[in-house]
Amino acid sequence: MVPVEEMLKLKGLKFPGGSMKIDHWENWLLTDCTGSAQLPSNIVHPIALFHIPIQGVGTSIAELFALGQVEGAGSVGLEGYDWEYFSLLHEDVDYRFEGQVIEVERLRTKSGGVFDRFVFTIELSTTEGDPVAKVTNSWRFWRIR
Amino acid sequence: MSDIFDYLGYQIPSLIVEQVEPNKMKTMAAILRDPYPVHWDKEANETLGLKGRVINQGPLNLSYIANMLIAWQGPSCIKRLQARFLKPVLDGDTVIAGGKITEIIDPEESRIRAKVWLSRDDEIVLEGEAEIQITI
Repeated sequence: MVPVEEMLKLKGLKFPGGSMKIDHWENWLLTDCTGSAQLPSNIVHPIALFHIPIQGVGTSIAELFALGQVEGAGSVGLEGYDWEYFSLLHEDVDYRFEGQVIEVERLRTKSGGVFDRFVFTIELSTTEGDPVAKVTNSWRFWRIR
Repeated sequence: MSDIFDYLGYQIPSLIVEQVEPNKMKTMAAILRDPYPVHWDKEANETLGLKGRVINQGPLNLSYIANMLIAWQGPSCIKRLQARFLKPVLDGDTVIAGGKITEIIDPEESRIRAKVWLSRDDEIVLEGEAEIQITI
């Protein structure tokens, strides 16, 4: 099992940060995957707050899995999201991203399972610094299921 | 309803996803750059006892709730989404997004809180809360 000390060191880790735009084609496909009609006025589908902050802050799902030292089916689970929208997101607009790992803890389930709870937060703002959104995501990195 | 307080207890019109589609999970995995095989590799999931099925992405599950809210109040209505993922949703599942208004947060801003959920048959697979700005 991954030593708990290695995981606890991740708390406070800051992501590189950066800026990015959401392309029309990407928003179109994302919206289509949800089963929704395309939204008007180049509005980005609200579910983009999963992957856009991760990419915009300069990391990736694969890198987060590597941080958690997990691999393969059944090694990762979602616990919860808390996403705040301060303004609408639009395609082809530059947004800035900052974020960090805010919580890591090892927990046991009643049935004897062991997982590391991994919580990170990312804030989105305009290039002028106005807040656009904030996401907090909680994942489970399973050690024993 | 002309008074925002009339919305307390209101049941948001539900949204039915007749069949969760594996091809959309594949496209989603590419968009997300998601290497987790449970969303696109049926063989990888046999070790999980899923009998050759794939697991829908959590964001897609939550998107059905977002789409329900947008269908009701438009694309700018969502101010906050909080979700807890309770059970996996698999390809071929029929799921229903539902919601009920539980609180008037700010009458001046027409901002309300709703309990939201995604169900499959009689079980809740995702539950949470949404803050919404409504038009009266």
